Amino acid sequence: MKVITPSGEKIDLLTVNIGPSHPATHGALRAFVALDGETVAAAAQEIGYLHRGFEKMVEQGTYQQVLPYTDRLNYCSAILNNIGFCLAAEQMFEIEVPERCQTLRVLLSELSRLIDHLVCVAAAAVDLGALTNYWYLFNPREEVYGIWEKLSGARLTNTFSRIGGLYRDTYEGFETDVANVLVSIEAGLDDAFKLLEHNRIFIERTRGVCPMTPDAAVAWGWTGPCLRATGVDRDLRKDDPYLGYDTYDFQTVVGTTGDTYDRLLVRMYEMKESLSICRQALKRLRPGRVNTSDPRLILPGHDKAYHDMEALINHFKLVFEGVRPPAGEFYSGTEAANGELGFFVVSDGTGKPWKIKVRPPCFTQFAAYADLIEGGMVADSIACLSSINIIAGELDR
Amino acid sequence: MTQHPTALGEALAPSTPEQAKEFQTRAFQALSERFGATMDPRDRWGFTAVVAADKLRAVLQFLRDDRDSLCDTLLDITAIDYLGYPGHDQARFAVVYNLRSQKLSGRRLRVKVWVEEESPSVPSVHDLWKIADWQERETWDQYGIVFDGHPNLKRLLNHVEFVGHPLRKDYPARKRQWLSTNDPMLDQLEARLKAKGFEILESPLFNSPSIEETQLLGKPAKIQINNVGRAS
Repeated sequence: MKVITPSGEKIDLLTVNIGPSHPATHGALRAFVALDGETVAAAAQEIGYLHRGFEKMVEQGTYQQVLPYTDRLNYCSAILNNIGFCLAAEQMFEIEVPERCQTLRVLLSELSRLIDHLVCVAAAAVDLGALTNYWYLFNPREEVYGIWEKLSGARLTNTFSRIGGLYRDTYEGFETDVANVLVSIEAGLDDAFKLLEHNRIFIERTRGVCPMTPDAAVAWGWTGPCLRATGVDRDLRKDDPYLGYDTYDFQTVVGTTGDTYDRLLVRMYEMKESLSICRQALKRLRPGRVNTSDPRLILPGHDKAYHDMEALINHFKLVFEGVRPPAGEFYSGTEAANGELGFFVVSDGTGKPWKIKVRPPCFTQFAAYADLIEGGMVADSIACLSSINIIAGELDR
Repeated sequence: MTQHPTALGEALAPSTPEQAKEFQTRAFQALSERFGATMDPRDRWGFTAVVAADKLRAVLQFLRDDRDSLCDTLLDITAIDYLGYPGHDQARFAVVYNLRSQKLSGRRLRVKVWVEEESPSVPSVHDLWKIADWQERETWDQYGIVFDGHPNLKRLLNHVEFVGHPLRKDYPARKRQWLSTNDPMLDQLEARLKAKGFEILESPLFNSPSIEETQLLGKPAKIQINNVGRAS
């Protein structure tokens, strides 16, 4: 592409597609860039390669049938999506789940946040050529998947939460497994900190790379770790506490310059806070019910469904017609690993949602991608992409 | 946005549901006095202001800059198709703007505009929030609602050759379409270069197969399995 630069120089720009199918794009994302040497003169990004029509498909089934779809939004932390959607539905019914369920949800949320951040940091380090971190961080992640497997039968797409509670209570030895995994994560994290935090190569590859100002981040609608990296102290767990997060002792982590280094380090320090929340939740875990007793939401037990006509009808109607929130429009946002994950639910009073719109956190971050990488080097665009943690599942829905 | 948001970290206090309700009452008063907004009865849990399309930009700008609300984050833009909604007597579509404040706790509300089916259009707010650009593109893609004044209203999630707007209630969920070529995206790249002061002398002809080239491949009429030469 022959152009005249703003300074009046006549040059030849090279147009290159970064992605859509490239290991460094972590999914199918496309950035079309015009290169002046190794500098990105201009960029445009395209999404939709993983568009499955989430919002159309959830209109076809019942509210309970939405849950497996939510697993596939941010598949690195499926339980966070499950819980986010369940909270939205439960708030429409205006019910609260029992104490044990709340504590378990906090524990599972924070474990999910941990594995999500582990993937982000480990993959970002690999993209910069620091492969060792990957082993240190992915081994404890694997142990968490072991817990997920025992808990729900699935590793990646857990569908563990239910509207009104959880799929089931934990298994015997769950607390020990979690306590052990927290130790492994902490050890892996400490190793990664030693390798990265003061590593000269890492710092030179990330510090000052693709920075974002607080005002621009807000204008781009950023939330979560990427917004906090710019220095804006905002975390839904603190601002709009849900699941009793206000009773846990933890701190929000903020950065200063909003560059790639800050975005990754914010995630690493957040993992320490999540570890602490997990430990507090473990201490609080008391035996009890995990499901509400509200018959509008929870299936009657076998003992009732087999012997009581009304319970059988209730069971039939819940399965075939779905739970029925009151007609109306409702939005609920929770702090997912990437930022505010919102569900906007329109109900017509039947068991099928009229509309569910997901507000995916990484959508806003990828929208700013061209702005972030323009003027930098091609290699920086890769470092930047892994630090904003794009998960194509929730980006394209 | 003159004040640096980091400075607001100290003022950060978790909001109580009462404070959030209080804000919504105040916001509704202000919006109804200034812009004639009405409350949407469909939102029984929070607060949704219904405004006229010609006041939309003024309302959103007011909510963004007003010192009491400072709803500086546009979380989402989406539309609702009410075709066949039980007991619905308003326009077919509504566009919903979901706002939240990052500077003040517990400031959340939605703004809704009714959009008629015949000429589904609302003014664009891409200049008020940068993120509105993509959100409006997505809403156009999924619902076919035109955002007047948007600089590049093209599909976002669906393929460039896609026909129709899939989230409309009259679009069949199982419908399939044949989509072949990809989006060259040269127009977007050139627009960004021009915005930076570059002058384009010559563009590459194609960076991807043209529609003609992919049509040469054509749709397979039938799949024939070649058995000739198979060892017996």
